[in-house]
Amino acid sequence: MITSIQTDRLVVISDLHLGNPFSNAKKKVLPFLKWAAREKYDICINGDGLEIAQASFSKVAFEVPEFFRILGDFKRAGREVYYVTGNHDIALEHFLEDWGMMKVSPFLNVTSGETRIRIEHGHIYDPFFVKHPQLYETLTHLGGYLLKMHPEFYRAWISFERFTSRLRARKTGILGEKPEFREAALELSRRGFDAIVLGHTHHPGESVLETGSLYLNPGSWMLTPHFVNIHSGKVSLMEWKPAIPSQRMP
Amino acid sequence: MARNTENRFEHEFIEDYEDGACIFEEGDTGRDLYIIQSGAVQIKKNTPKGQINMAVFKKGDFFGDMALLQSLPRYASAFAVGETKLLILKPAGFLMKIRRDPTFAFEMLQQLSFRVKMSNDRLLEVLKRNQIPMEEIQGILNLLGGGSQA
Repeated sequence: MITSIQTDRLVVISDLHLGNPFSNAKKKVLPFLKWAAREKYDICINGDGLEIAQASFSKVAFEVPEFFRILGDFKRAGREVYYVTGNHDIALEHFLEDWGMMKVSPFLNVTSGETRIRIEHGHIYDPFFVKHPQLYETLTHLGGYLLKMHPEFYRAWISFERFTSRLRARKTGILGEKPEFREAALELSRRGFDAIVLGHTHHPGESVLETGSLYLNPGSWMLTPHFVNIHSGKVSLMEWKPAIPSQRMP
Repeated sequence: MARNTENRFEHEFIEDYEDGACIFEEGDTGRDLYIIQSGAVQIKKNTPKGQINMAVFKKGDFFGDMALLQSLPRYASAFAVGETKLLILKPAGFLMKIRRDPTFAFEMLQQLSFRVKMSNDRLLEVLKRNQIPMEEIQGILNLLGGGSQA
């Protein structure tokens, strides 16, 4: 299992949830992948790329062929595709790797120039997922039915998380996230990582940790197409604009 | 110079070392585990033929694991290469560290597995070069593997 890589150019996207009733990520991600391939980037899908927790296999199978075709082109062009597993697609871990077009791992330690970057989906830092895994799975499954009936429920949930996050006393992390994610990033940064990229929460943003390291989350492409750009050791959060992919997050 | 940042880090601290400074010496009884935050560390061992360089660890690597996990005196000496900053884990905080940062255990196992393979490969190479009979090589490998398993 490969967990350490060196690369000069890497883009990280997260939580596409292809196959999910709410996800229209495919429309945006296909041109993004073509752009990344043209610009000679390697790509990392940081978990929950495919939705097998809230969607049927036939729905996923209908959504993904073009996505995988482009990833195949990526590989044939000599670029690497890395897939870090998340909680919605962990069952696919070995299945995906056996296809041979991507390297699958539970996390990725990236060296770019002098910079060490940790990429991890982050579900193991979600206190609800860790303390009540079965309840979490059941509610995730039930949430899938709710999304089928009312896809907009997802947007309301994200707004609710942002609202409750604003009420918290400590406002040092990424808006919408539970404080545990930033604490996990701080813990990782103490092991010599200059930047930590998590996914899972669907809340894009960045935060400077007490150690001076950078904590970033590209959010979910179900809402906004953010990505983490790693280029010659520089790490930044950007929003994909089909014409000019260079607008930095405020 | 030790400094704690928060209560939850009470069993770990950070130390800075200058180039060439000794972190610990072979035979010392310390049990701390070290993680390199910046810089590098060279491991040296005394042998009947003199001191040999065993390994150089860089940012993100850990060392000192033998003393922590097996309660043995330090197997070799460690020296800073360039300005080096280390995160030092006290034995009492090791399990809590793994609880807060579970992938650390995964990465330790991965590195230890890599080091075992490297040692076995090097040993095989030396044994072959010295034309030691196959039965003797097999005996040594069985001993290293803790039995006769593959």
